[in-house]
Amino acid sequence: MEVTIKIFRYNPEKDKRGHYETYKVEAHENDRVLDVLELVKGHKDGTLSFRRSCAHGVCGSDAMRINGRNMLACKTLIRDVGANITVEPIMGLKVAKDLIVDMNPFFDNYKKMLPYLINDNPLPADGKERLQSPEQRARFDESTKCILCAACTTSCPSFWASDEYYGPAALVTAHRFIFDSRDEGAEQRLHVLSETNGTARCHTAYNCTEACPRDIQITKAIGELKMAMVTGKID
Amino acid sequence: MQTKARTLPLSKRGMSFETVMWLFTRLTALAMYGFIFIGIVGAFVMGAQNDMSFVEVLRWALMPNTGHVTYTNVPEISPYASMFWKSVASLFFLTAAGHGVHGVVVILDDYFAKPSQRKWIRFWNISIVAVIIPIGIYVIWMG
Ligand code: SF4
Ligand code: FES
Repeated sequence: MEVTIKIFRYNPEKDKRGHYETYKVEAHENDRVLDVLELVKGHKDGTLSFRRSCAHGVCGSDAMRINGRNMLACKTLIRDVGANITVEPIMGLKVAKDLIVDMNPFFDNYKKMLPYLINDNPLPADGKERLQSPEQRARFDESTKCILCAACTTSCPSFWASDEYYGPAALVTAHRFIFDSRDEGAEQRLHVLSETNGTARCHTAYNCTEACPRDIQITKAIGELKMAMVTGKID
Repeated sequence: MQTKARTLPLSKRGMSFETVMWLFTRLTALAMYGFIFIGIVGAFVMGAQNDMSFVEVLRWALMPNTGHVTYTNVPEISPYASMFWKSVASLFFLTAAGHGVHGVVVILDDYFAKPSQRKWIRFWNISIVAVIIPIGIYVIWMG
């Protein structure tokens, strides 16, 4: 089938502002949008820039706006979006070139969540693992699935308004560690979350939950963080 | 394996202003439903069973004070001049003002992230509410 793909283009060395270019390529309905982008780059215009790595929905590098919705190009089939496709960079982060955005503000916010296990207590007597029951592990299972693609954060109206807001992805990271029974850093993280740019900026728009390619219930996770801040319960 | 329930005491997690206001917004929203309910039940108890249009129901629900019910078809409105109803109306008004002004600050904070801007937002909103509250209370008690 013939696919018409309209792609946002911006070259900071030449363009004052972005514009769209349209390409026509032959593709199969079971191809992914990423395949179509590869076809355009390989056969039509080698200057097209976009991020991709694993091509299997694992690395999180190819989040983009496809027909107005944040998705991973490698997980989106042509048959699901139709033969007329518009591809744009994710919103709220500065465009570096074409579909590539500057992810630094996103990762700065991520780092504020102290995204690592904090536990200075001595190891168990056998000197091995800090054990955890299946229930304790299940408590934060959802939030371990995050691949940091930024689809959620860049679909959030609060983040569009100001990238000072930590954003849903950072909050999912906080959730992943705060509710981990082996972690002792909840106190520090809850202090960070209770700042003006923390959970207070979440107005439960639910855009993040819809955008997440890993189907993480992000708004629910943020709600659990809000309750933890009020009640102190982190089980 | 860690087995006991994990709860961070208040002394450790602290209650930041944002957290307190998050709770305040939710509780005041619930409280306002309560006030509306009290207003409507009060109106029924005082004889508002007949000739109540939708507008009048709203008026009784949202503004249970004599000034605002003078023009309704309810036969006897003097009970609304009592201390009790003036107090209910005042509490309702204070709750709504606090809820509303905080809502405005929260939304403006989305768009203005610099500390200096946020200081001005707070200054102006607190100033506006500081003017509105005495006027509202005056109308309820003297109206
Ligand atoms: S929570 Fe979902 S949408 Fe957000 S960064 Fe993680 S995987 Fe991507
Ligand atoms: S390329 Fe790795 S998630 Fe799409």
